[in-house]
Amino acid sequence: MKLFQNIYEFNYPWEEVTAANWKKYPNEVSTHVIATDVLRRELDASGKRLISERLITVKQSVPQWIMMLIGSTNISYVREVSVVDLETKTLNLRSCNLTYSNLLKVFENVTYSPHPEDPQNKTLFKQEAQITAYAPFTRVCNQLEDWSVQRYHENAEKGKRGFETVLLTLNKGWGQSEKYMDDIGNTIVEKVNETVDDLLGVDCSSSIMNKYSTTIRLAFQKE
Amino acid sequence: MGNIMSASFAPECTPLKDTYDKCFNQWYSEKFLKGRSMENECAEQWQTYMECVETHLVKQGIKPALDDARKEAPFENEGKPLDK
Repeated sequence: MKLFQNIYEFNYPWEEVTAANWKKYPNEVSTHVIATDVLRRELDASGKRLISERLITVKQSVPQWIMMLIGSTNISYVREVSVVDLETKTLNLRSCNLTYSNLLKVFENVTYSPHPEDPQNKTLFKQEAQITAYAPFTRVCNQLEDWSVQRYHENAEKGKRGFETVLLTLNKGWGQSEKYMDDIGNTIVEKVNETVDDLLGVDCSSSIMNKYSTTIRLAFQKE
Repeated sequence: MGNIMSASFAPECTPLKDTYDKCFNQWYSEKFLKGRSMENECAEQWQTYMECVETHLVKQGIKPALDDARKEAPFENEGKPLDK
């Protein structure tokens, strides 16, 4: 098992960041994320704590041969459970891949909270991912895990810069009507393809499969 | 920039999801975040959307993997894996 951790800050209030979270998908550029669905959503008795379960649908370009190998289609799914807590002012998102989970599991844990040094204007972003590859491909597991962690590092910086763009655009529309917010949401998503992938951890599983195909192919060649 | 309909994993459910999302996003920004809501609104839109989702989770064979994930990291446990 490998672990990835990352911390970043956004110069936007926590409330705005959480509202933006529901409007990331779908978009016209990040075409591999083709759908998001809410599966369950509950508000606790205090009215201050909202729990949501979502299904993220990803269409990936994985070679045909590996599809046959694992007996699957090129559609894969990620499950996410999120908690918005108004008392502690935290948004916590926990995601895991549903597809290929017998081969590889990516548990991602993301938390947004007001920045301790400037809680009114800044939001702290913390990301942690546990990446575990399983047998029967034990031989390639370490390599795969190492690569996955590296991939997280590479994407982290540009991912955060992209989300800044989202927040800037949403910020201009904050307090406007919902209609206006929707229009903005649809415009900004064009710019945040890689950002949202990174934040949701969806691109990770997709890319892991791309890498996986190469790794497995190499392993087979050595046989 | 046209309005993109927010898609569901099952195309049949997309219009229902779109209606629910619109209601939810408004509720979230204007009521929940401001601490003005004691209930999860949009119940009517939710009900029809969920009936569609449940049907197609089964039809498309997603349900078994989802059930496994739910056992491993239950909603009641806020998505945290039970063995960690």
